[in-house]
Amino acid sequence: MSPRRSLRLLVVAALLAAAAVGLLRSSSSGPDTDPVRTVAGGLRCPACQGESVADSASPIAAAMRQSVAEQLAQGRSPAEIRRWFVERYGTDVLADPPARGVSLLLWAVPALALLAAGAAALRTLRPRRPEEAAGRAGPVARRRTPGSAAPPTPRGPTARRLWWVSSAGVTLLVVAVAVAAGQTGRPAPAAPPADPVAVTLQLARDLEGQQRYDAAAALYREALRDRPDDGIQLRLAFALLRADDAAGAERAVREVLARSPESPDGLLVLGLAQRRTRPAEAPSTLRRFLTLAPHHPAAAEIRRLLDS
Amino acid sequence: MLGDLGTATLAAGLLGATLAALLWLRVALLAAPARPARAATTLTVLAAAAACAVLETALLRHDFSVRYVAENGGRHVSVPDTVTSLWSALDGSLLLWSLVLCGYAALLARRRHPPRLHAYAMAVVSVVATFFFALSALAANPFRDVHPVPIDGPGPNPLLQQHPAMAVHPPLLYAGYLGLVVPFALALAAPLAGDQGRGWLRLARPWTLAAWTALTAGIGLGAWWSYAVLGWGGYWVWDPVENASLLPWLTATAFLHTARVGGTRHARWNAVLACASFVLVLLGTFLTRSGAIASVHAFTESPLGPLLLGLVLLAVLAATLLAGRRDVAPAETPAPPLLSRATAVLVNGVLLVTIAATVLIGTVAPLLTEPLTGERVSVGPGYYHRTAVPLAVAVLLLAGVAPALRRAGDRAGVRRLLVPAAAALATVAAVGLSSRPGLPALTAFGAAAFTLTGLAAELGSAPRRRLRAVRLAAVLAHAGLALVAVGVAGSSAYGQVTERTVRVGETLRVADVSARLVSVDRSTTGGRMVVRARLAVTGDGTSRTVTPGLWYDPARDTAVTVPRIDTGPWRDTYLTLLAVAADGGSATVRLAVNPLVGVLWCGGALMAAGGLLAFGGSLRRRRRGPAPPARPATRVEVAA
Repeated sequence: MSPRRSLRLLVVAALLAAAAVGLLRSSSSGPDTDPVRTVAGGLRCPACQGESVADSASPIAAAMRQSVAEQLAQGRSPAEIRRWFVERYGTDVLADPPARGVSLLLWAVPALALLAAGAAALRTLRPRRPEEAAGRAGPVARRRTPGSAAPPTPRGPTARRLWWVSSAGVTLLVVAVAVAAGQTGRPAPAAPPADPVAVTLQLARDLEGQQRYDAAAALYREALRDRPDDGIQLRLAFALLRADDAAGAERAVREVLARSPESPDGLLVLGLAQRRTRPAEAPSTLRRFLTLAPHHPAAAEIRRLLDS
Repeated sequence: MLGDLGTATLAAGLLGATLAALLWLRVALLAAPARPARAATTLTVLAAAAACAVLETALLRHDFSVRYVAENGGRHVSVPDTVTSLWSALDGSLLLWSLVLCGYAALLARRRHPPRLHAYAMAVVSVVATFFFALSALAANPFRDVHPVPIDGPGPNPLLQQHPAMAVHPPLLYAGYLGLVVPFALALAAPLAGDQGRGWLRLARPWTLAAWTALTAGIGLGAWWSYAVLGWGGYWVWDPVENASLLPWLTATAFLHTARVGGTRHARWNAVLACASFVLVLLGTFLTRSGAIASVHAFTESPLGPLLLGLVLLAVLAATLLAGRRDVAPAETPAPPLLSRATAVLVNGVLLVTIAATVLIGTVAPLLTEPLTGERVSVGPGYYHRTAVPLAVAVLLLAGVAPALRRAGDRAGVRRLLVPAAAALATVAAVGLSSRPGLPALTAFGAAAFTLTGLAAELGSAPRRRLRAVRLAAVLAHAGLALVAVGVAGSSAYGQVTERTVRVGETLRVADVSARLVSVDRSTTGGRMVVRARLAVTGDGTSRTVTPGLWYDPARDTAVTVPRIDTGPWRDTYLTLLAVAADGGSATVRLAVNPLVGVLWCGGALMAAGGLLAFGGSLRRRRRGPAPPARPATRVEVAA
């Protein structure tokens, strides 16, 4: 082996080794990878289009990131957390669909395409013997007499018949479009991919279940901006009350009562809020609540409060 | 008044296109004279141009009695934005679509190709034009009148009003999509035209090159637009509309390669790829114009879905019937050895088709799974990163291998790959040891180094071989692809972002760039409220002021972020204003540093330039008359 050749081999070997080390180093996750980001990156932000929970700026995504962080802190595995989200918000919360059922198509179709195209390429590459090639050429080529340059053109009545058939086809195309256009009209707008407000509310309820009333109230406010609704407003007032913001709860519930003064839930929250802000007015509000809704689930509790 | 005129032009167009289809069929089947058919095609293109002109006039004159103007016009909209709002919504863009399609038909009608092949191809193009005119005239007439006539309109979607790319992006994309109708028509016409059909590949080449160039430029501009306007700092999210433009590009790219190398051996590949490209164009039109898929820029809520789906099925049926029983010419040339460019091109075709299948199933899977299982599945970028991206890296490697295999069966070709391979390994080693870009980005860097080194060697050896325009075009396009790979890998691996609410005077920091919020200004201009955050950005040893904004458009009740990009030689500083406190004392700002994005745009421009050069070369070659069959190219020298 000439010295020059061995030098070249040495260089190639050194490069190979260095590249392998580089690849290895790059494939192991670095010290700065954040597990919350990894899990959140696999979740789709329900209120956005095409953004993951890790990247989105929306409040829902922020709350979901928070939830991921807490569950991780409780020692749950990423798979468990993903399952938790799927149970609550449906499969499409996952950025990548699970490999089962119809979603298997996502992996089967590319594999099949690769196999089919590869097989076709192999057939093209395989050396063909002339007679085999002629046999493959099909009936059209075999029918053709060697030496005749003229193509097998349909002439006379056949061509004329063909022309009539194809013109009928073109006319039919136009008629089909006309008929279909008359029938379809403007359809009702398609339902949005996922109702962001519903997801926000679900998340807020979860937060309430975890006794994080401040965060829940923020999400209720978010939902109200998109969908002004007395039910949501009342939930906001409840959350504020439990977050020890009696004044805020009173403000929120008064908006509901301004629209429907007889709302029992409204009176209940108002009364409970007043117990903190203006204790003198609370009993009369709560009594009104009891007269309006004597069988309310909270009625017994309120009676006990008033009696004590 | 204008509305009636417009409806009349649409009726004339429908009539002209139908007549053209019938007359060209007469030419093909009964050898009738071509002059009336040509006249009908001319009538069609004139009608399409008139329809666009009438709608444009109505938009400019604020004639709100015309439905499209009432829905998309507005007195507050600037004149350039009014002109481009012709294609900012479904019905108007369909007119532009018809105009481009008829333009191609008129150009193709002027050619002197073998008469039967030409007539059949013209008949196919005319049938497609008939369908789209029927859609415009019968299902989506933008000229229907409105009662009562509104005083003002909402204006086009504010997202489309911000960037100059929006003026050229849709027309370029349409030029790309519809140019693919010509190879499709020729591929369908070839088996019908008998022996005249043999030359269809050579005839299809300039058209395919023109369409490919326009499509490449259109996709690039679209990515640039979403980068500069949408405010999240990315250029590609595998959104259905983006995928719809990528699909025909992939198959058209494969077609350009198989048609060029290998000749008759690839006959079936060529026919299938040419047909698939236009079928994918139609499928993309169906996906984005039927409201089937929600996307950032899909046209939703339209009655055209079933009709477009019908056309897709018709095209697939025609392609299967005609191209399927295609007369495969016996291979006269001996089979090329395994290590040849023909093999490389075939492998490239397999990879591109697989990528296309992957992107296609990823795009339609959400549509398929819901009716089948009742469960909504979303396919995010993660899926494509694991499937399409590795295949794309393989394609890039192949682009580096193919030029080295210059002559068929050249064993020296393998040795020629040694230096590029060493360059690739050195790049992987250097980048992998100095940072952690992740496996996909690292392999992309290596593949790009491999390809670029090979192309440089090719250029270096050029003076002796006298570089032809076609070779130079291929070198440019492949180098562009490598640069795109570097840009994508670099910006996704090294991009950094932070997002915070800062008070006036506070500073955000990412990497070595810092942005201090100086002030928040509000103003009302032209019926829209504008909030701007003034930020002092320091980085690279310089300091400048950047003012991202937030527009609120009361007419459409939408808020639009107007990001600002500070472009440096190697990286962009990208600032987005997301929200502002009511008192103006603080603002939520997103600060991102995106390295190597400029390289990505350069790569896209190089690819389009390569396509343009190859197109020019193929035109010049055609002007010199048909090439001898054995050596298909006459030498065209590049003025050095």
